[in-house]
Amino acid sequence: MIDCEHMSFTYDGKRFVLSDVSIRIAQGEFVCILGGNGSGKSTFAKHINALLVPDEGTMTVDGMDTADEESLYAIRSTAGMVFQNPDDQLVASLVEDDVAFGPENMGVETSEIARRVREALAEVGLMGFETHETNALSGGQKQRVAIAGALAMEPKILILDEASSMLDPRGRRGLMRVCKALHERGMTVVAITHFMEEAAEADRVVVLDGGRVALDGTPADVLVQTDKLAHLNLEVPFACELSERLRSEGVDVPACIRERDLAHAIADRAEGRAAQAPIAHDGSTAHESGAAGAGGEEPVIAFEHVSHTYLDSSKARKNRGKKGGKTAAWGNDPNAVWALHDIHFAIRPGEFVGIAGHTGSGKSTLIQHMNGILKPTEGRVLVCGRDIADKKEATAARAKVGVVFQYPERQLFAATVYDDVAFGPRNLGLSADEVDKRVASSLALVGLDREAIGDASPFELSGGQQRRVAFAGVLAMDPEVLVLDEPTAGLDPAARKEFLELVAGLHAEAGLTVVMVSHSMDDLAALCQRIVVLKEGEMFASGTPREVFALNAELDAVGLGLPAARRMALALRDLGMPEAFSGFYTEDELVAGIVSACKGGAR
Amino acid sequence: MNAAFSFGSYYQGDSPIHRLDPRTKLLAGIALIAAALLARDFAGLAVVAAFVAGFYAMARIPLGSAARSIAPLLAIVVLASIFNLFFVQGGEVLFQWWIVRISEAGVYSCGFIASRLFLMMAGMSLVTMTTTTLDLTEAFERLLAPLARIGLPAHELGMILGIALRFMPQFADELVAVYRAQISRGAGFANSPSRGMRMLSSLVVPLFSSAFRRAETLAAAMDARCYHGADGRTRLHPLAFGARDAAAAGVMAALVALAACAHLIL
Repeated sequence: MIDCEHMSFTYDGKRFVLSDVSIRIAQGEFVCILGGNGSGKSTFAKHINALLVPDEGTMTVDGMDTADEESLYAIRSTAGMVFQNPDDQLVASLVEDDVAFGPENMGVETSEIARRVREALAEVGLMGFETHETNALSGGQKQRVAIAGALAMEPKILILDEASSMLDPRGRRGLMRVCKALHERGMTVVAITHFMEEAAEADRVVVLDGGRVALDGTPADVLVQTDKLAHLNLEVPFACELSERLRSEGVDVPACIRERDLAHAIADRAEGRAAQAPIAHDGSTAHESGAAGAGGEEPVIAFEHVSHTYLDSSKARKNRGKKGGKTAAWGNDPNAVWALHDIHFAIRPGEFVGIAGHTGSGKSTLIQHMNGILKPTEGRVLVCGRDIADKKEATAARAKVGVVFQYPERQLFAATVYDDVAFGPRNLGLSADEVDKRVASSLALVGLDREAIGDASPFELSGGQQRRVAFAGVLAMDPEVLVLDEPTAGLDPAARKEFLELVAGLHAEAGLTVVMVSHSMDDLAALCQRIVVLKEGEMFASGTPREVFALNAELDAVGLGLPAARRMALALRDLGMPEAFSGFYTEDELVAGIVSACKGGAR
Repeated sequence: MNAAFSFGSYYQGDSPIHRLDPRTKLLAGIALIAAALLARDFAGLAVVAAFVAGFYAMARIPLGSAARSIAPLLAIVVLASIFNLFFVQGGEVLFQWWIVRISEAGVYSCGFIASRLFLMMAGMSLVTMTTTTLDLTEAFERLLAPLARIGLPAHELGMILGIALRFMPQFADELVAVYRAQISRGAGFANSPSRGMRMLSSLVVPLFSSAFRRAETLAAAMDARCYHGADGRTRLHPLAFGARDAAAAGVMAALVALAACAHLIL
């Protein structure tokens, strides 16, 4: 179906982004293409539907050479493509018009277009959304509309260019489900991704590195090569990593790529021994005690029964009684009155608090209350004991509470990195000396060197560096509390890990109080002392990670899922492992538990 | 959140007005404006107002939504009427203080201009509220089509308009996000001009760079879906004039005539 022979490509005539790539993809295959940033994976994807044409070698799609101008539109309708950003690829304001865009361009007859639109929307599970506005959809739904737009051209190949990287877990699952269903009906699917769970579901995995094919094979062959993957800046699926770790601890389990398989393998090993080896439930208490110890101090940020509505407040109060029973099945209910409702909690100095919630649950609204950008409709927000409803207090709060918004690199604007980071301190009216000091120290905090990078334009930096500069811009305000909205959104695994380490360092070493919004339960489990879960603007749960993750199924119901280690622990408990497993949520606990369960008899 | 850009955003419905050919609606909107401009006194405007109210009722748009749609542009109405209040002189002087003088004619023209502008906006807002952007751009393109013969890129202009409308709410959201991020860093327009400039560039630069980034991906996405101009393009909902459109055209012609000579009749 896709025949790529010794293909090379360069954007600038100097550096080859792809060099001598030969990949053959058969009809009906589900292939995942993996690779770190700059590996050439997106460039490869754009060759399949002739958005780019190889400089050397050939690319043949369904028997048509992409270099042949004549068959350009035939190729593009054969290989439908879905792009990364859900906001940038929809052309029309209404769903049906957008889905119809492809066939309209192809000159398909009106009645046929109508049929295709109907069927394409049915295939992605968006029946009845024809006249919805594309702007009002969630990210996951937008991506499904984009898939429908490709399907309406009746393609044989579907290319997904990191289509899931900007979605929350729920949106990602929905997208994956649609792709698998299409694949089962014979569609050839080529998915560019850096999510290993997705790769594990594919028929075949191709890993690109520096424009060359580094690995090619079934997921079971490729994904277990943990050393190589780590070397290529890719993460390893949780099951592989865990099985590797268990083997190094002397538990003989095979390398698995699916968690289900690994759970069975472990359960088999442990069989019969569990009874003899009661496991002391000694789950690390460091986290909990840390939070409890700070209990006596005055909170840095306190929410007192805060409610917020984007509607006119008097109207909101009137409608207040109407809430309940009426919730949208997806995204933000446009009729929902309260973006936040009766939020009551406090953040103490030195804490690391996580805020979790599905898209549209009010997370972003919540954090914008922390430095007075939004004002509560009801209730009070106190920063260091002072109500920030007052304008003066809000300004003062902004120097104490630094907020790093989602995709902060998009706010960069100055001609040099130095000026951008200096923006905050200069707004505070500090002296040139002090500004200089702040810039240098905040750049150092994010691991950048002022001398090396200060005079560069922020727009010339790599994505990861841009985000660091944006972080530094907030740190230069010298805040006591750092609020982060999805700090790792849209990053590849290597960069994600670096940023989480950076955040952990700012908390542990720089002594900042950190509030982190995330929908990655793994990240929250690894870093936070306390987690607040929001659901449709209300506090759904709050407590230590152990308390929050004990909710299991309830978390799943609000679309959040569980950390991988906890998922595995529960699966093992269900397979007959000791009850203590239901208390685990970190990988260390889990490994210790499994090791003692499997070796218990021998000890 | 993006109240500033809600002018004329589409209100879903299936009323007779919604089902009119967008070309008819676009022309009717222009006719409405013409009628409002032709009206020379309040009687003429009253006729136009009656029609506008009738159209809104027919489109079954709730009063609240209609008001929300027009509200952002009311500032223009207020500005224009204040301007008239102070600068149009004539008749009895009602109020005088220092160089400010308000006369009878000023009050009259203030009210008249305000009503006229308001009616024009209400009319155009109704057109966009009952027409999807794609239909609107198609209508725009088709109405310009005769000019394509003299080299006017009608299709391209239509497409540009459509994309602009599609991305407007998105950029509005983005502007709000960038603004909030910058005030989080202590930015503000107040105090000194240099600070104001810095604040302005801290909003404009990110917005432009985002626009370019989006344009690039959107272009690729359109290419990937075989877009190649107007050539051989078909439509999911082809435009077709019907009896309804003829009726609407008749009504509009009557309106313009009535508004023009209302001061003769009443």
